[in-house]
Amino acid sequence: MTESFLGGVKLTLRLRELTVVDLDVHVYETPAALAPHCAQPWRTSLEYFASLPQSYLGTPGFAPYLDAWPDFPPDSPRRQTVTSPAQLRGDLDDLGIDIAVLIPDCFLLHAAIRQTDYALELARAYNRWLTGEWLTEDNGVKGAVLAPHHDPLVAAEEIRAYADHPNIAAIYLPTSCVDPLYGHRRYDPLYDAAQETGLPVILHSGLNVHPAFPFNLHGYETAFAAHALAHPFSMMANLASIVETGVPVRFPGVRFVFTEAGLTWVPFFLLRLDRDYVTMRREVPFYTDKPSVYLKQCTYFSTQPIEEPDRLGDLATFISLFEGEDNVVFASDWPHWDFDHPLKAMQIPVSDEALAKIMGGNALRLLGLH
Amino acid sequence: MTGFAVVPLAELPEGAHTVVEVAGREIGVFNVRGSYYALPNVCVHQNGPLCRGAVSGTVVASAETAWKHTWAHEGEIVICPWHFLEYNITTGECVNFPGRGLPHYRVVVAGDELQVYGRTG
Repeated sequence: MTESFLGGVKLTLRLRELTVVDLDVHVYETPAALAPHCAQPWRTSLEYFASLPQSYLGTPGFAPYLDAWPDFPPDSPRRQTVTSPAQLRGDLDDLGIDIAVLIPDCFLLHAAIRQTDYALELARAYNRWLTGEWLTEDNGVKGAVLAPHHDPLVAAEEIRAYADHPNIAAIYLPTSCVDPLYGHRRYDPLYDAAQETGLPVILHSGLNVHPAFPFNLHGYETAFAAHALAHPFSMMANLASIVETGVPVRFPGVRFVFTEAGLTWVPFFLLRLDRDYVTMRREVPFYTDKPSVYLKQCTYFSTQPIEEPDRLGDLATFISLFEGEDNVVFASDWPHWDFDHPLKAMQIPVSDEALAKIMGGNALRLLGLH
Repeated sequence: MTGFAVVPLAELPEGAHTVVEVAGREIGVFNVRGSYYALPNVCVHQNGPLCRGAVSGTVVASAETAWKHTWAHEGEIVICPWHFLEYNITTGECVNFPGRGLPHYRVVVAGDELQVYGRTG
C-alpha cells in the first residue's frame, strides 16, 4: 500500500491557476512514531502498542475505534495513509493543493481515550512530533495543534506553546466521543488561548458513535449508517453547544471550522437555531440578534464530502441559502477513503470569484496567510 | 501513431488485468475467464484511475438471496482505487450508479497477442 494513484489525473488549467487551501489533510501518527517524543511512563505504553499488530484507527488504548460491524475489504491497492513529509508534498502536488493543514488520523479518537494524564502526554507528544518532523519546511504544509479536551488548561498551554511556530496555523479539537460538548464552560481557558493567539479552531469527528453519542446511533449495523450521521450530527451537537453558552459573544475572536460533514446541513441548522432563538431568547440572552448573524462572523464549513446531487446547481443553492460564499472552505480529506479531489469541489456552479474564495481565498483569510 | 496497443496473451492470464495507452488514452484490459474486455481507465465519479484497481467479486442482496448478503460476480468486478466504486467488467455497468457505465473498447485476438483499439465497438 504505497501508491497514491493520483498521478495519472491531469489538473485543469483552472485548477492550476487557483490558490487551493485544504483544511483537512490527515497525517498518520503511529505509536512507534510518537514514542520517541513521549515522556515516561507513557513512552513504555507506546512502545508496547508499537509491538502489536497495527490496525488503522483500531489500536486499543491508542486509537480506540470501537467499530461493531464486519468489513468488506474494498481490495483497493491505494495507500490510505501518509507516512512521510515528502510523500505528503507529492500527493498535494498531484492534487493541485498549494497549502494544507494537517490534522491527525489515530487521534481523531483522542477524546475517547479515558486515562487523563496519558491522553495529555499523547497530545504533547503528537504536537512535538508534528512540529519536529512534519512542519520543518516552508512548503505550504501547515499543522493544527492538538488541544486535549481532557484538561483545557493543558490545551491552552499547548496552544500558546506552539502559536508562534511558523507552520502552526490552527487548533484541532477532536470531536468523536467528546464529552462534554465543546460549548461547556470548562473549555473557556482553551477559547481564551484561541482568541489570544488568533488561531482558528478546527473540529473534526470520525464515525465513532459510541460510547458517548446521543440518539442511539450506536445501534447501527453498518458503517454506512453511522458515517451518514456521525459527522454532521457531531458538528451540529457541538455547534449547538457552542451557541447555547454564548461562545461567539464571550470569545468574539474565536473562529471555528466545521469539517467532514458536507455543506447541506448548514442552512437547515442555522435556520433551526434562528427559529428557536425567537421563541427561547431568554435562555440565551447574550444574543441581541439571531445566532446566524453571529455565526456568519466566526464559522467556516468545509466542503468534503461534497454532496453529489444530480443537479449540481443545487449545491450553489445550498450555499446561497446561508449566504455561505465567504464561509465555505475547501477540504479534500486526503488520503482517506472518502476524499474529494479539488476538481470535484470545483464542479459547484458558482462565479469564478466565489469559487476562488471557496477553494482558497476564505481559508487564506482565516489562517492569516494573506 | 498506431491505432492499437498490443498485449501478449501470455502476459494476461485469466484473472489478470493491465493498463495500456492507445493514442493518448489509458485503457484497462481484462481477462475474465478467458474472455477479454477493455474499459477506459476513468471512473465516472471523480475521474479516478479505475482500471488500476483490484479485480474481485461483490456483495449483493435481493429477494432471490432472501435479503442476505451474498458474494457474487467473482472475478467480474473492478473496484476504483479512489472511492471503491464498482464496475462489472463484462458489461461496463457501474454497480453504484445504475444506468451509468463505461463503453468497451474493441479488442481483437491475433495469434498470441491481443490488440486493443482506441475506439469502441
